[in-house]
Amino acid sequence: MPQWLQSTVDYVTKPNSMTPGWYADPIAGMIWALVYILIIFGGVSLVVMAMNWLERKALAHIQVRLGPMRVGPHGLLQPIADAIKLFIKEDIIPDGADKVVFWLAPVAVVMTAFTVYIVVPFGPQHAVTDMNIGLLFMLGVGSLSVLGIIMAGWASNSHYPLMGSLRSSAQMVSYEIAMGMAVVSAVLMTSFAGGGIYGTGGASATGGTLSMIGIVQAQAQQGTWFVFKFFPLGLLAFFIFAVAMVAETNRAPFDLPEAESELVAGFHTEYSGLRWSLFMLGEYAAMVAVSSIAVTLWLGGWMRPFQSLHGPNVEIPHYWSGGAIDLAAALVPAAIFFLLAFFTFIGVVRMPKHPIFRVQTAGLAAFGLALGAIGLVLLAPPVRDRVQDIFWFVLKVAVFMYLYIWYRGTFPRYRFDQLMHLGWKFMIPMGIAVLILTGALGVMAQ
Amino acid sequence: MTVNKFLRTIFLVDLLQGLALTFRYQAPKEIYTEQYPLQRPNVAERYRGAPRLNVNPDTNETLCIACDLCALACPEHLIVVTSERNEKTRRKELTTFTYDLSRCMFCGLCEDACPTDALELTQDFELAAYTREGAIWDRQTLEQGPQPTVYKK
Repeated sequence: MPQWLQSTVDYVTKPNSMTPGWYADPIAGMIWALVYILIIFGGVSLVVMAMNWLERKALAHIQVRLGPMRVGPHGLLQPIADAIKLFIKEDIIPDGADKVVFWLAPVAVVMTAFTVYIVVPFGPQHAVTDMNIGLLFMLGVGSLSVLGIIMAGWASNSHYPLMGSLRSSAQMVSYEIAMGMAVVSAVLMTSFAGGGIYGTGGASATGGTLSMIGIVQAQAQQGTWFVFKFFPLGLLAFFIFAVAMVAETNRAPFDLPEAESELVAGFHTEYSGLRWSLFMLGEYAAMVAVSSIAVTLWLGGWMRPFQSLHGPNVEIPHYWSGGAIDLAAALVPAAIFFLLAFFTFIGVVRMPKHPIFRVQTAGLAAFGLALGAIGLVLLAPPVRDRVQDIFWFVLKVAVFMYLYIWYRGTFPRYRFDQLMHLGWKFMIPMGIAVLILTGALGVMAQ
Repeated sequence: MTVNKFLRTIFLVDLLQGLALTFRYQAPKEIYTEQYPLQRPNVAERYRGAPRLNVNPDTNETLCIACDLCALACPEHLIVVTSERNEKTRRKELTTFTYDLSRCMFCGLCEDACPTDALELTQDFELAAYTREGAIWDRQTLEQGPQPTVYKK
């Protein structure tokens, strides 16, 4: 490595003595932030494309169909073909539309969806920034997306979009309350010192925190994910959030704002081409963002399962906490990629033997080899140790993404009064009860 | 509300059962879709599709005796049979046979009326044509059967 490069690397990676893992120099911190922003922007866009393919495929299989099969092996290149189609499509602005607001609406949706990623903690050191009001920032900016939807509905100057955006605003307002109650109960849990599920033991020495990284560290310190804390309470709060987040992102079964059978396409009826795809990008990015809040608050963020069994007041056999378990957990990312490569191999073997499919079979085999190569890279110890946190975080978020698709394939859409009934008469009282009981349990144990 | 029903509601048993059902249906063996041009569908045995005028496989002579019964049986009057008398053998011989597929409803009455099993509705279902005239089949097309384009990449 040349001298100047070495000194640059040293300068950029010089650690901060106050907060380990963060960088001493503000410029270095900014460089790292920029790198993370680029990685996150690219990664989320890629995830949205993958999600597009996965949703069509999984939904098709639930409905005993095949899904996309023609563009690339098993339709793997379909999102790219769709993206090209949307780019070259005519961009229609209706005559009576408010041009400026019509133009701003999709931008607002995408901007808010991507801004929240600033505080998403992919690992103790892997985040754009660690804001002390991270959670508040995330919920605040995330709620702005409804503004984009209302702008779209109003600017379209058409009745279906207007109805869709009205529904969306009513829905978001009523579910945000329940969501807030659940979130506050999780924040309350960060302020308890004791470990384990019921070990409360007074206030935490450092106090409660709203920082996304701090919340995960509080879970590590207390030795339990917050889903299991105060047993049914954490789970109930998580359940409320899990339902409310589906409503917040306008997904089935709460997809009334874009109900196809009633409102054509809801708030984006008048949108086409690139603007329409921006709405889709924003919706999927928001799904990932909201899932990552759920993972951070209740599912231990970047912690691997059973890491908390090393906790101070948990009696476990010696061999559980030994290096062998750590090593085994560190090998899981590579193992998952090998498993994916194996499934791809099965796909290659089961590809139709017709000569038309020869190129596609070769492509799928190459894809499988790439997955295997990624698995091999993940086996290397330096990579393994650095990527582990990110891997567990992404895996947990991926489970939520699958749940979104699974819900959409299973549940029929709610009627609007049913939606309001559920939100106001079950979710909000339950949220308040959970919040009060969490506080009471915390105080009682002092 | 019975206790049982109450517990079902509280623990969302019905929703979970629905989720389990949709999860099971994701198995690849459940897929019903066929990849049509490459994978041929299994047409039902009694399906009535493209008409065919059968020939004697040994001599390559048509089995049709130009009796005109199919044209008489046809409720749409879409079959036109012309024949001429062969002076040597003193028999009627088929000259042209036209069959207007665009008006055919595949009722199969012509096939039932045929005394020599010459006219037959086969299981071929690829009947699309680029023009209206393409749907009117002459004797040659009827004997050869439809020749749809075989699509390669």
